Amino acid sequence: MTLPLWLVPALPLAGFFLCLFFGRRLGKAFVSAVGVGSVGLATVAAATRLIPYFSGDEGPLVETLAPWIRAGNFSVDLSLRLDPLSALMVSFVTFVGFLIHVYSVGYMKHDETDAGYARYFAYLNLFLFAMLVLVLANNFLLMFVGWEGVGLCSYLLIGYYYEREYAAAAGRKAFVVNRIGDFGFLLGMFGLFSLFGTLDFDSVFATAAADPNRYAPGLTLVCVLLFLGAMGKSAQFPLHVWLPDAMAGPTPVSALIHAATMVTAGVYMVTRCNVLFRLAPEAMGAIAILGAFTAIFAAVIAIAQNDIKKVLAYSTLSQLGYMFLACGVGAWVAGMFHVVTHAFFKACLFLGSGAVIHALGGEQDVRRMGGLARKLPVTYRTFLIATLALAGIPPLAGFFSKDAILAEVFAAHRQLLFAIGLVTAGLTAFYMYRLVSLTFGGEFRGSPEKAAHVHEAPRSMTVPLVVLAFLSAVGGFIGLPAVFGERASWIAGFLAPVLAPVRFPGAEGAHHLPHSTEWLLMGISVTVALLGLLVAWKWYAKDGGRTPALIAARFPALYALVSDRFRVDEFYDAVIVRPFVWLARVLWKVVDVLIIDGVLNAGAFVVELVGDSLRFLQTGNVRNYALTFLLGIVALLLFVMGGAP
Amino acid sequence: MTARLVFDVAAGLAILFAAVMVVHRHPVKSVLALVVSFFALSVAYVMLSAPLIAALQVIVYAGAILVLFLFVLMLLNVPEEVRQKSGRPIHHTLSALAIVVFAAVLLGALRAHGATNAAPSTSPLTGEVAPVARLLFSEHLLSFEALSILLLAALVGAFALARREGRT
Amino acid sequence: MTANGIPLGDVLLASGALFALGLAGALMRRNAISIFLAIELMMNSANLAILGYASTLQSVEGQIVVFFVIAIAAAEAAVGLAIFVAMFRHTETIDVNRINLLKW
Repeated sequence: MTLPLWLVPALPLAGFFLCLFFGRRLGKAFVSAVGVGSVGLATVAAATRLIPYFSGDEGPLVETLAPWIRAGNFSVDLSLRLDPLSALMVSFVTFVGFLIHVYSVGYMKHDETDAGYARYFAYLNLFLFAMLVLVLANNFLLMFVGWEGVGLCSYLLIGYYYEREYAAAAGRKAFVVNRIGDFGFLLGMFGLFSLFGTLDFDSVFATAAADPNRYAPGLTLVCVLLFLGAMGKSAQFPLHVWLPDAMAGPTPVSALIHAATMVTAGVYMVTRCNVLFRLAPEAMGAIAILGAFTAIFAAVIAIAQNDIKKVLAYSTLSQLGYMFLACGVGAWVAGMFHVVTHAFFKACLFLGSGAVIHALGGEQDVRRMGGLARKLPVTYRTFLIATLALAGIPPLAGFFSKDAILAEVFAAHRQLLFAIGLVTAGLTAFYMYRLVSLTFGGEFRGSPEKAAHVHEAPRSMTVPLVVLAFLSAVGGFIGLPAVFGERASWIAGFLAPVLAPVRFPGAEGAHHLPHSTEWLLMGISVTVALLGLLVAWKWYAKDGGRTPALIAARFPALYALVSDRFRVDEFYDAVIVRPFVWLARVLWKVVDVLIIDGVLNAGAFVVELVGDSLRFLQTGNVRNYALTFLLGIVALLLFVMGGAP
Repeated sequence: MTARLVFDVAAGLAILFAAVMVVHRHPVKSVLALVVSFFALSVAYVMLSAPLIAALQVIVYAGAILVLFLFVLMLLNVPEEVRQKSGRPIHHTLSALAIVVFAAVLLGALRAHGATNAAPSTSPLTGEVAPVARLLFSEHLLSFEALSILLLAALVGAFALARREGRT
Repeated sequence: MTANGIPLGDVLLASGALFALGLAGALMRRNAISIFLAIELMMNSANLAILGYASTLQSVEGQIVVFFVIAIAAAEAAVGLAIFVAMFRHTETIDVNRINLLKW
């Protein structure tokens, strides 16, 4: 018996309702069971559909639940789609999501009230529901529902500690910046409808592919708009500002939403629409450049950050840039590959940082950490494995996916972008090992009370760490490069049906490199990564941080600029936020209070005035009233008589 | 010719005594003047071939209604109206003006339309009571009965309004 | 010309004069009962006019109308005077100038 596809998102939705309505009363045990159980069951349900799908050879499966909108010639159905792309996404969204839910039990149990605990799991379940709707949707509108849903849950979860002003503001910021992107997405959808008359994936892509020359001109604008949505959701420059602030939320939230799943929704969407993007080469070029820029921009900022979660946040930004760089040069498979491997090691890193923070009772500044390697062995080892994976050391997962991207960029003759990607890889290795060194190496630099309380995390937290570290290690083998054989990359073969052939200049498939060049590139990227690790080891582990301190002292202005994240937030505040606040104040004080209220008050005043004047007719004297009658009658008579001679 | 003379005299008297009623300040004298006026009107009605109405005028109007007025006047011990400088000149001038205009319009209108060429009705006026009675009790029977109910209602109403509170 | 040779114009003139007098009385008097009397006078002037027309048009219906008017005037007078009595009990006056509770 095959379980229906809609069961997969429905289970977390049920979990949401149960936790929301009954969680507070029924206690933490209930919430844990339901919150984690719903996701676990969803993972199992998904597996029952995915495993046969992965091994089989079926085409896309569409499950239409119900007609949704029928308005004139605009019709949209509630229909879900299982094809290689969505199958890949569902697999790690459910599994990694499940691991993070398990981890959350250990992380959130002690510090929160029953109500807060229930709220957390309710929102987390709701998020998973929205994310699954997003990836399983079969048309743009349903995907947009999921898109908005994850944005909402992101806001709710970032602002989980809503009593802290900083967290509430961060939630708002995330939502507003996302909204800007969503605006682009919405406009893109309008454009799609006006071009194709439908929002259904199959219809749109088939129509576009069948007649490329007719649709290509309009698609450039549409693709730019859609990418604007992706920029908001996946935090590309200049809409990246919300992601570092989003670290105000609980760490498992950062792991799930802001590393593994929501932020990759943009990459998923772009890959899903690859047919459209391939018909808009200018858009793709812009994406590649922007992705590369974001990658190096974020990596530079990361080297000067001292909050463990902020470093990981900027690292996420940087890796997302890589993914978009891949999409921009047509390396769709490499982009998705990196999405999957990134989910594994970045989630592992975030959960590991959560274990550290938990062990130190809330400390997040690495300058007050150190020497934790002996005290938190499991955390340390998993963190190290994930770091090496992120840095791109073979045979860990990150190496294969990052190398695939770089190789494709090189093959597409984008030398500058390749160079940027390479430098970023070096920086990545550098700042990650810096983080490891400062956190786990050397001696403990914090207070003695904290030192006494340091303890390894409970099983519910360490088991997911181990699993994710394992996946970071072996996950790369699904995408072995071509040097190992033409069909060595399972993922390329698997995703091939999604990349339908499109006859349009510049829309050709992956480029081919001679094997020798590939080996050369692999060697170069490994060398760069090792170089980064080495420098970081020397400066921080061996020299105890003297050299970087010297450099910072030598170039104080530059250091300040980098550590202030290039002051992008300040710029936005001055150029956008303040004028808006001023405008809002003007609209309030002047337009609303003075003008609108003034008009209304003036109206009331006039009525009162007239009433006061007319009041004098009410003398209470019957004779006056009789006189008035008479006057009226006389006037009437004169009027009537005046007509007749 | 004679009828006309009698009518004119009666009407003139009616007008005269009506003026006395309007002008006189003492209310009782005012009522008495109106009584005389109504008597004169009654004569005028006879001249217009309406003896029944004339009789009713004397019996009901002059004899009952105005007597009722007298009773109430005496019950309330209404004093003589004191002539005083009116504090409402506007009211008085405006009233006078309105009345003059109205009267002029009315009289002008009535004069102009005084001559009518309507066809005589089926029941010619003979100055007898029987035709009136016949009509009253056949065609207008419903109105007649309704009128009696009206009188009943007026009776009850007057009683309810005027009784002292707290007494049945 | 009425049945008895009385010109309608005369009748109407008399009726109009009586009405104007009644109107003057209603507006000028301060005494509530005097005002009421003037109103009765106005009703009589109307009766006169109706009878004049009835006589001219040789119609008996006119007399029937006047009959009803007289009866209704009686009812009205009764109720009106009852109101005056009740009012007097409350306010000790029937000077209309003083009865002005509806004044703003």
